[in-house]
Amino acid sequence: MIRTALLAAAALLVAAPALASDPASVALTFDTGASTGAVMVALYDEASYGGGQPVRAARIDVAAGEHSVTFEGLPAGDYGVKAFHDLNGNGRMDTNPFGMPTEPYAFSNNAVGNMGPASWDRAKFAIDGATAQTISIR
Amino acid sequence: MTPSRRHFLMGAAALSAAVATPEMVRAAIAQEVGASWALATADLEGDIAPRAMRLVHGRAPAGLEGTLFRNGPAKFRRAGGSATHWFDGDGLMRSFTMSDGAVTLAARFADTPKRRTETELDAVVTPGFGTAGDGRARVGSPDDASAANTAVMVTGDKVWALWEAGSPLQMDASTLATEQFVTLRDDLKGMPFQAHPRFAPDGTVWNVGMSGDRAIVWHLNHDGSLIDAQVLRLPRASYLHDFTATERHLIFLLQPWVFDHEAMPYSTQFAWKPELGTQVLVVDKADLTSTRTYELPSFSFFHLGDAWAEADGTIRFDVAANRDASFAIEGARVLVAGRGGVPGEPSVLKLVTLRSNGQAEMTSSGVTAEFPKGDPRRAGLERSLTVHVAGERGGRPLPNGLAVQDWKSGRSHAFSFGDDQIMEEAVFVPKPGAAAERDAWLVAPSINLAEGVTELHVFDVASIEGGPVATWRADVALPAGFHGAWRG
Repeated sequence: MIRTALLAAAALLVAAPALASDPASVALTFDTGASTGAVMVALYDEASYGGGQPVRAARIDVAAGEHSVTFEGLPAGDYGVKAFHDLNGNGRMDTNPFGMPTEPYAFSNNAVGNMGPASWDRAKFAIDGATAQTISIR
Repeated sequence: MTPSRRHFLMGAAALSAAVATPEMVRAAIAQEVGASWALATADLEGDIAPRAMRLVHGRAPAGLEGTLFRNGPAKFRRAGGSATHWFDGDGLMRSFTMSDGAVTLAARFADTPKRRTETELDAVVTPGFGTAGDGRARVGSPDDASAANTAVMVTGDKVWALWEAGSPLQMDASTLATEQFVTLRDDLKGMPFQAHPRFAPDGTVWNVGMSGDRAIVWHLNHDGSLIDAQVLRLPRASYLHDFTATERHLIFLLQPWVFDHEAMPYSTQFAWKPELGTQVLVVDKADLTSTRTYELPSFSFFHLGDAWAEADGTIRFDVAANRDASFAIEGARVLVAGRGGVPGEPSVLKLVTLRSNGQAEMTSSGVTAEFPKGDPRRAGLERSLTVHVAGERGGRPLPNGLAVQDWKSGRSHAFSFGDDQIMEEAVFVPKPGAAAERDAWLVAPSINLAEGVTELHVFDVASIEGGPVATWRADVALPAGFHGAWRG
């Protein structure tokens, strides 16, 4: 009985669950043009990138000197980042009278869209283990 | 295989590598069997370092000192895909500096996001006025699509490269180095600033930017700082490249080439509906909500002359008027293709009269015309003279000379170089200390097709029929430019 229990315990150790042996994280650093307001960041997986709830979100207090955020405990896989720099701190991405953004925005891989937001194909990047990316948002 | 057969195949491979893509083959064919005027839309492969132009005729008039800045598309074709419309080539800022009788020419490409992307990809991918672009385009904002290629506005020691659908691009006036897109006010970042600012008698500058039936009306100081900006709703969503102004009023000409459906390239959004006629909207500069509308028969246009008001309130301005928009759609495509016939007829200079009783009429000069320009001392004030390019006709779609239209006498005073020259827009340069309208020079470049180089000419307004009083010749041919500005 003890041997069976030991064998079972050993089996558990060998077949350790994904969370313990595959903790992925991403450290995102934003290179901003201005030092006011906050960068609003959202991290998406493929299913949510096109317009669902982000997997993670954060507010980086640029005015207080912050420039980065780390999202932890992520399943390894492909992700995309959408961010904008709320320069005036009003919580919104402001636009000009003809509807174009007047505040900086950016995507992972510094991807640029084609007459719209950067596509999943251009923005997607792999998060596996400890990943880091710097995004220019000017 | 035998050594000789292998050598032949390697040679053939090297040959095909030299003519690797259909684009390069097409360009080669255009060079050889294309139209005689194809130099107007050839590709320039790099910037032109400052170099002296050689005086080949006459002498520089005493007192003519300054710089002619000009802008125009100078790169259309790339191995992986090309611009297919004249309005979509990469902007090249040119400077012709006249000092002590000598002329120095320099030219530098506007270093735009579009040009950087397309250089990296070696393909024109950005959607434009007539060019479709493709899925490789990187356009996150209107300025990412800017060719910065249409006109110039001088603001002190900077020049702004003007386009149509985005911000001005600031460049250094001495080095022609690109600096940054101009944001006139933070909340107006990226709003369009078109290619034909109007200079008012009070020293301020007015301009417009369009989106459907909405216009942003810009009011600037001469140094480029913003006084005010207001959005107006126009009675019609016309394609509007240019507007004009009197001392007191802004004038918007609303042609029946109107927004029909969202589409790219840009020109495909519009439909020609001649049954609508052409509308004129006159707007009080002091109160942009105070407007008056006039009706004219249908015509199409790109360019207007400065407007003026007479003592009894009659308003007049001239326009290079065309029957329809076929040049915009098809003609400008043919000009980049470098061969074929431009459809329709050339534009004709006409005078629009708006009477206080609400009536409007047009009179034709009868003269083929484009790129009208007037005396800057009289911008927004009563005047009689308009200089314009002339000589365009069916078999020869580009101008070969200049003419000055005198609206007071009804006469046209013209000079033609003949078809060995492609004439470009002339600017009026007042003679120092002189007040009379005729006391001025005209400064304009041309492409000398026989010599294969760019030339710069000075004419005297009072004696244009006698031809240029001076001509300088460059050692390089620049593709034709659109619009320029003189800095004295």
